[in-house]
Amino acid sequence: MDAPATAIALQYWLKKMGYPRLIIAGFLLFLFIMAPITGSDLPTQITNVINRFSWNAVLVLAMVPMIHSGCGLNFGIPLGVLAGLLGGTLAIEMGFTGTMSFLMAIVVSTPFAILFGGGYGILLNKIKGGEMMVATYVGLSSVSFMCIMWLLIPYKNPSIVMAYTGVGLRNMFALDSFYAKVLSNFAQIDLNPLGINLVIPTGSLLFFALLALLMWAFLHTKTGTAMTAVGSNPTFARASGIDVDRIRMLSVILSTWLGAVGVLVYQQGFGFVQLYTAPMNMTMPAVAAILLGGASVNKASIPNVIIGTLLFQGLVTMTPTVITALIHTDVSEVIRIIVSNGMVVYALTRKTEESA
Amino acid sequence: MKGKTLIIRLAVLAVAAALAAVMMVIGRGHTLYFDNKTIEDYQGQEYKAFERVVVTVKGEEVAKLGKRERGMATWIGQDFKMVLEITEKKGDEPRIEEISIQLPYGVDGVVINLPAYLAGLPEDAWFSEFVPMVEEEPSEEDLPGEGDGFGLEGDMGLEGDLGV
Amino acid sequence: MKLKKNFDVIEFLKNNLVPIMFIIICAICIPLSGLSPSYLLNEIVTRMGRNIFLILSLLIPIMAGMGLNFGMTLGAMAGQIALIFVTDWQIWGIPGVVLAMILSVPLSVLFGLVCGKLMNMAKGREMIVGYMMNYTGTGFYQLIVLYLMGLIIPIKHTSIRLPRGYGIRTTVNLTSLRQCLDNEFAIFFKGVKIPVLNFIIIAGLCLFVVWFRRTKLGQDMRAVGQDMGVAQAAGINVDRTRIVAIIMSTVLAGFGQIIYLQNIGNFPTYTAHSQIGMFCIAALLVGGASVEKASIGNVFLGVILFHTMFIVAPKAGVTITGDAMIGEYFRVFVSYGVITLALVMYEIKKRRSRSLGGALLAQAQREGGTQS
Repeated sequence: MDAPATAIALQYWLKKMGYPRLIIAGFLLFLFIMAPITGSDLPTQITNVINRFSWNAVLVLAMVPMIHSGCGLNFGIPLGVLAGLLGGTLAIEMGFTGTMSFLMAIVVSTPFAILFGGGYGILLNKIKGGEMMVATYVGLSSVSFMCIMWLLIPYKNPSIVMAYTGVGLRNMFALDSFYAKVLSNFAQIDLNPLGINLVIPTGSLLFFALLALLMWAFLHTKTGTAMTAVGSNPTFARASGIDVDRIRMLSVILSTWLGAVGVLVYQQGFGFVQLYTAPMNMTMPAVAAILLGGASVNKASIPNVIIGTLLFQGLVTMTPTVITALIHTDVSEVIRIIVSNGMVVYALTRKTEESA
Repeated sequence: MKGKTLIIRLAVLAVAAALAAVMMVIGRGHTLYFDNKTIEDYQGQEYKAFERVVVTVKGEEVAKLGKRERGMATWIGQDFKMVLEITEKKGDEPRIEEISIQLPYGVDGVVINLPAYLAGLPEDAWFSEFVPMVEEEPSEEDLPGEGDGFGLEGDMGLEGDLGV
Repeated sequence: MKLKKNFDVIEFLKNNLVPIMFIIICAICIPLSGLSPSYLLNEIVTRMGRNIFLILSLLIPIMAGMGLNFGMTLGAMAGQIALIFVTDWQIWGIPGVVLAMILSVPLSVLFGLVCGKLMNMAKGREMIVGYMMNYTGTGFYQLIVLYLMGLIIPIKHTSIRLPRGYGIRTTVNLTSLRQCLDNEFAIFFKGVKIPVLNFIIIAGLCLFVVWFRRTKLGQDMRAVGQDMGVAQAAGINVDRTRIVAIIMSTVLAGFGQIIYLQNIGNFPTYTAHSQIGMFCIAALLVGGASVEKASIGNVFLGVILFHTMFIVAPKAGVTITGDAMIGEYFRVFVSYGVITLALVMYEIKKRRSRSLGGALLAQAQREGGTQS
């Protein structure tokens, strides 16, 4: 009697997990097992994975509000990233350094995020049902617009403007004297003295935990539940007196703001600011990660964010070393492209319960 | 009806395959190199280089060769034809010869020694394969798969993409 | 009387907003760029010859109601793989181009089939699926070209193979194919080179598109494009028709990419396809097409306007701002902007007609209710 029950349970879990997720989780497990065998140091690998998790998690979290309100995957995250970049560069331009520059970057980017997110939200409210494609191109065109702006805005700070001409921002600049590692170095746990190459960037993780907690709490407030209602059944939501457009707008602004904060967190971990076309490269990893974590086009939760980011960043960090050691060829890039984009295609082609 | 569709499809497939095969034959390109070089010792005999050879391929003068010089031409297909204007020794009247050579399909670069060929020697005397030097450049090629991008770089790199 | 005329003008402006905007941009930028008219004309004619075929490949999915086929990139990849083979086998000139086209067909059909099936699984989201497919496809393309070629797929010549023994070099030279179509029957008219054969091929494709619209399959596609439900009810196999539309588009895109690359004369192996979809779609939209309606006229107008902008923008940018990069970024911004605008207008229109339909239905129900 027991066997069928477990079989059914197993099937249920298989279905719930989805095959791509299982395959990738299995693959990651395989990588972790193979890592010591191929001679790479497991604690170092784990440190890398945790590090990259801490850089990217907030960006992935930025996907949640829009998915919740039924706006689909936020391919327009570059908009938030741009707000973050504006905040960061302006904070530096104003002369802030160290931890203060990070705080100021968040403060300065907030009005931009609200402004961009507001405009973006108005647009998305006009095109319900076709959000994703428009979002993609809103992202692309705003990034290319800002490419012009980075050259035209009269920044003066010599450590961020182009070296020769002094006009326009550099493609990439280091954050050493600004907010590099300000979060990761906070209460950092370093096991190197004990002979283990394990470093845990506690501050970054705590910061993400804080934001995730706030997000979780928000989703359980009245507005938050309204957001979920709008996402799962807009007709019902409207009938029960919820202002659908306002809620959607709120979710877009929230997403955009989290995108702005997310890119700042990413930069403090990475230690560099990348401008011009770089924001475009932020979209796919974030979208793929949340999908990998079990979210669908219209459903996402905090665990999805955590699991997805761990899986995706694990894949990204582990494959180059382990697979290269195994077959002496670096196929990690190809795997990364196929997995991240294939995951999005997979999610898009799933039958969704309610595709409004 | 169904049988007919199948036949039509097979026929289209056959035509496409045949066309591809024809293209592979008539489109095979070869690079030819003409050497006007003395063969010192072929079975005990010497074949002297000409004073001057003018090579004309498809009505276009491709090379004017003095002694120990090499000329080059390209040819599509295997029936290679050229017109040579040969001045054997200094002061001679040039004579004109039309030549056609059947090129082997599998060889990209063909080197023809003109004095040997015109003397009517067997193939191994005048024919050799051109082996290009393998340029051992340091692999500075910027392959995808390196760096911290996510495979989406160059998303806006327009320069060159449209040949501008 | 006068009122009516005014109304017409506004309507005309509204419907042709993008082309008019572009004409204005071009009109401002051409004198600023300082390029000579003959140079400009030469460039535009060349670009028409190499790009129109690619853009025409977008028409069929639009007809079938599948929107802009962002997945046309897959066809371009198939074309590139075929060109790599042709280069390795040393097939030159026009036979080389023809062979590359034949070789690209099975690949394009395969890619198109996969793409079409996936789009059928995500009806109403075809464009984003196509858009994502070109990235996923890029992954597989890299797998084939960077790893399998030379390992499993034989590649003979070291000139195109990487020194490590497998994979293709970052640039493939098409010296032996270079402009072989362009130069055949080319006419020089007052210093402007007209690639006659290219235009003959393009004219052939235009005729094909016109003819195809009248065939049974073409009619089916239009029916599917109008309303899938109605088409299904009328006995049309909707899914199959849609897949055929995508396959045709992919195959044509493959041909188009081959024509395009033989003109350029070499291609960056790993990036040549990535921008093609964006450019073609932007050009088509600039010509006044929309997501659900596009004609051959749109293609021609679009190519001329878009490429004029493309040629003159960097130079004009230098004149205005003194910085070459601004012009570069500006034309990218405009390309993306045009696509964004078209997508937004399409979605707004779709939503309006949907809510109009809903209102009508509700009214009908209400009236039905009062009657009973």
